[in-house]
Amino acid sequence: MATILGGIGTSHVPTIGGAYDRHKRSDPDWAPLFRGYERVAVWLEDKKPDVLVFFYNDHASTFFFDHYPTFALGVSEIYPIADEGLGPRAVPPLKGHAGLARHMADSLVNDEFDISIFQDLPVDHGVHSPLTMFWPPAPDWPGKIVPIEVNVLQHPIPTPMRCWRLGQAVRRAVLSYPEDLKVVIVGTGGLSHQMNGERAGFNNEKWDMKFLDLIARNPKKLTAMRHADYIRLGGTEGAEEIMWLAMRGALSPRAKKIHQNYYLPMTTAMAVALFEEPAVKPTSMKARTGRKTRPSFRTRAARAGIQRRFQP
Amino acid sequence: MNLQLKGAEKLEGTYLFDLATSAKALRLNRFLHGLTVAANRALFKDNPEAAFDKAALSAEERKMVHDLDWAALIRYGASFFCLEKLGRVKGVSNPEMVAGFRGESLEGFLKTRRVPGAR
Repeated sequence: MATILGGIGTSHVPTIGGAYDRHKRSDPDWAPLFRGYERVAVWLEDKKPDVLVFFYNDHASTFFFDHYPTFALGVSEIYPIADEGLGPRAVPPLKGHAGLARHMADSLVNDEFDISIFQDLPVDHGVHSPLTMFWPPAPDWPGKIVPIEVNVLQHPIPTPMRCWRLGQAVRRAVLSYPEDLKVVIVGTGGLSHQMNGERAGFNNEKWDMKFLDLIARNPKKLTAMRHADYIRLGGTEGAEEIMWLAMRGALSPRAKKIHQNYYLPMTTAMAVALFEEPAVKPTSMKARTGRKTRPSFRTRAARAGIQRRFQP
Repeated sequence: MNLQLKGAEKLEGTYLFDLATSAKALRLNRFLHGLTVAANRALFKDNPEAAFDKAALSAEERKMVHDLDWAALIRYGASFFCLEKLGRVKGVSNPEMVAGFRGESLEGFLKTRRVPGAR
């Protein structure tokens, strides 16, 4: 069965990918950003997940307002890099895990999350800008992704609570996949920034720090907030933080934040946080039962603190 | 009324992109979004009026795009994320666009930032 090893929350500003592409690792203006991702890169190198499930938003690159999906799940084997006005970024096309994605589509829809499905469409910097920092292609990407697009551009956008519940449904979907896959959940966007009007350039470090604390310790508090609160505290584009909530909703209550970094050089607060699930220890299971068999899905799910809405 | 947004309308200098705005500026945003296609970029560079004709932009829309009047474009209803495509095509960075929204020069805006070189 598939397992969830942990989660990553990260900003997805295009300049993160730009700094990587322009080799700014030793540039004092950018070094604090690179250093902040090193722990995440090492963790992924150590855990070697097969798939990253990505909650991200498209930036009117692939989707347009003639039909803008609230939630859309990618089910392709491959995702081209979107052209955002300068030609596609020079990174390889992203590899998709179509088997897991198709299973997730079945699971989500049967779980009453009637998500849109897309395939054969490009993916923009919402996914690949932070990705090169912690999962760089060398020369190809180390594994596969399943992208889940969230509308944070055109109001009404989904509520914070709905994003949390989407995360929970994604957890049920991933954990019920029969293949032994190691999965990490990624939520992108934020933190505080505003990209319109005279209030553009707004930041709020105090709120950002509180958000980074609550997302780990008391995410329910964040689900109870309204978009007007997110916009007041973190700017209109700070509302992207609901995608971190989807990621956190896909983790168990026992997941621990083991690393975070915060850097606010220009207009967007660039943050990354790493969450780890408690290790499932097969040895203690063996000691208790005297058997070498892996515990059942239901046992592991119960240990991981999730409840299935529908018992078979 | 979107209850999730109640109160946000009181924030000064903030333009929420909702369905009414989206409908008003759909043609303009479609033109901007279209700059993700190389052939549209080439037409816009070679013959801006022909590109505007193809997108059926109004005189007001043409002038704002031609002048790169970022503040006016946002007030009119352009999505920032569609404007980003225009920024890339015209070689204008996001900090410069943000300075425009604020009615500041790029240099003035950078003075308010912690790491002005991080561009």
